Amino acid sequence: MADLETWLEEGYQRSFRTACLILGNRSDAEEAVQEAFLRAWKFRASLASGSDFKPWLYRVVVNTCNSKLRQEIPHRDRRSGEDDLAGLSSIDDAPGNIAVSQDIVRALGDLPVHLRVVVVLRYYADLTEREIATAIGRRPGTVKSRLHEARRQLAEHPALRSETHGQPATVSEVVR
Amino acid sequence: MTMIDEDMLYEALREAADAIEIPEGATPRILAAAQTPAPQSHPHRPQRVIPQGKRGRVALIAAAVIVVAGGISFPLLSGTDASKTIAASTFHGSASTGAGGPQQAFTPAPAAGSAGVAGGAPSAAPASPATPSLPPGSVGQSAKVVAKGSVNLTIGNGTLQSALAKLTNLVAADGGFVASTQAQIGPGTSSNSSSGTVVLQVPQPAFASLVSQVQKVGHASSVTTTSTDVTGQVVDLQARIDALQASRQQYLTILSKASTIGDILAVQSQLDSLQTQIEQLQGQLDVLNSETTYGTLTVSLTETGQRPVAPPTPSTGLIKAWHDGIGGFVSGFEWLVRIAGPALFVLLCLAALVVLGRFGWRAVRRRML
Repeated sequence: MADLETWLEEGYQRSFRTACLILGNRSDAEEAVQEAFLRAWKFRASLASGSDFKPWLYRVVVNTCNSKLRQEIPHRDRRSGEDDLAGLSSIDDAPGNIAVSQDIVRALGDLPVHLRVVVVLRYYADLTEREIATAIGRRPGTVKSRLHEARRQLAEHPALRSETHGQPATVSEVVR
Repeated sequence: MTMIDEDMLYEALREAADAIEIPEGATPRILAAAQTPAPQSHPHRPQRVIPQGKRGRVALIAAAVIVVAGGISFPLLSGTDASKTIAASTFHGSASTGAGGPQQAFTPAPAAGSAGVAGGAPSAAPASPATPSLPPGSVGQSAKVVAKGSVNLTIGNGTLQSALAKLTNLVAADGGFVASTQAQIGPGTSSNSSSGTVVLQVPQPAFASLVSQVQKVGHASSVTTTSTDVTGQVVDLQARIDALQASRQQYLTILSKASTIGDILAVQSQLDSLQTQIEQLQGQLDVLNSETTYGTLTVSLTETGQRPVAPPTPSTGLIKAWHDGIGGFVSGFEWLVRIAGPALFVLLCLAALVVLGRFGWRAVRRRML
């Protein structure tokens, strides 16, 4: 049980926020991460010795999120809007940053799930492409192409293209 | 092509994620849930048709059902055992008039109380279809069996009349009678040969011997006998009649005590209904008793007609090879058609197993991670 405590201390926050960005809802994310940690703990023996723990845990989290997106969320009414990330409040006081955060969340929500997952794992969870490949059970080449497609779609998203912020200008202005 | 800047994406996502508050008390809840043996239930999780833990078992049961069904239906599809089942109550002999008896194409022993079979070769003594032994104590009375049969006889040219006379004598000697006769005599028939059908009825105990004797009148090309045990139906009918008669007696008693016209009419109506039912059931019982008293044997007689001329055998080697080639092609095609059914069934079974295995593997993998 001490191992689980360590896992939770080291990985809960990042896993929860990853799940939030994938699912777009705090309650769903909380359930998914709880289930993911319990599954990971139950099947900890399946983690081969010497294997990297981080992508394995993210794989469990991503699978749980995918399971929720596929099986549960489409079959029930939307939860109360207060749990949605659309109404995100920032701890950062800079108004421009709040707007960017809200825009990026909105744009992420409009991405297809398979693209959203790789974006979150790459640019928030900070996994390498190889680790993402392990986490989603695909080849690194697939990850690379999905990231490319995701960045292209994000650049064309209206929320990130037309909105203007104080600084650092708009997201669309920093596209290559 | 426009692409969003990666550094910008890093920064924006980090800011968005940092703005998400971590739920309080989440980690203690997980620790507590990990310590409890029961799986964590989710209020929002929809009810599954098949519980997660039982999916593997359901898949195994489904696979077992498919295998068992395949094991049962495969022989039926291949057609070998099916023909044996039919042959259990039927004998088909060769219609050729050459020396020797007809070829035997069967011969399983019938189950007790089921259909009896009248012999292998026409000259062989047939098993008795009329007296199947009942399981001891099953009904409590002697067996009531309806015996029916048919014999196809091939007789010599111009011998139809004498054959009919022989059959009439045979059935009379056994205490039976000729129920009906139908004959087509002369060259006006379609096959230019005479034929006829005779329906004989003999007392049940003499049925088996009659079948045997009839086969000696001509050349038997097929013999079929069936015996049906109707003891249960007879007992059931008798019991229902007894019960209705008891009710009728009670109504008669009530009728004798009825004083008003309305009461009398009501009771009389019931009595009429009862009487109708009794008569219907009694009629059915009489029919059954009649059928079980006499066995019915239908004899079809056909005179030997002109035999079809066999095609001339190819004289030269080339023509013979051509005919052999055609024969081989037809045989190969027949083999393909014959094997297609079982092969298709096996493929379907394999496909079902692959699908089940895939679902099972997905379920296991989902549970593992």
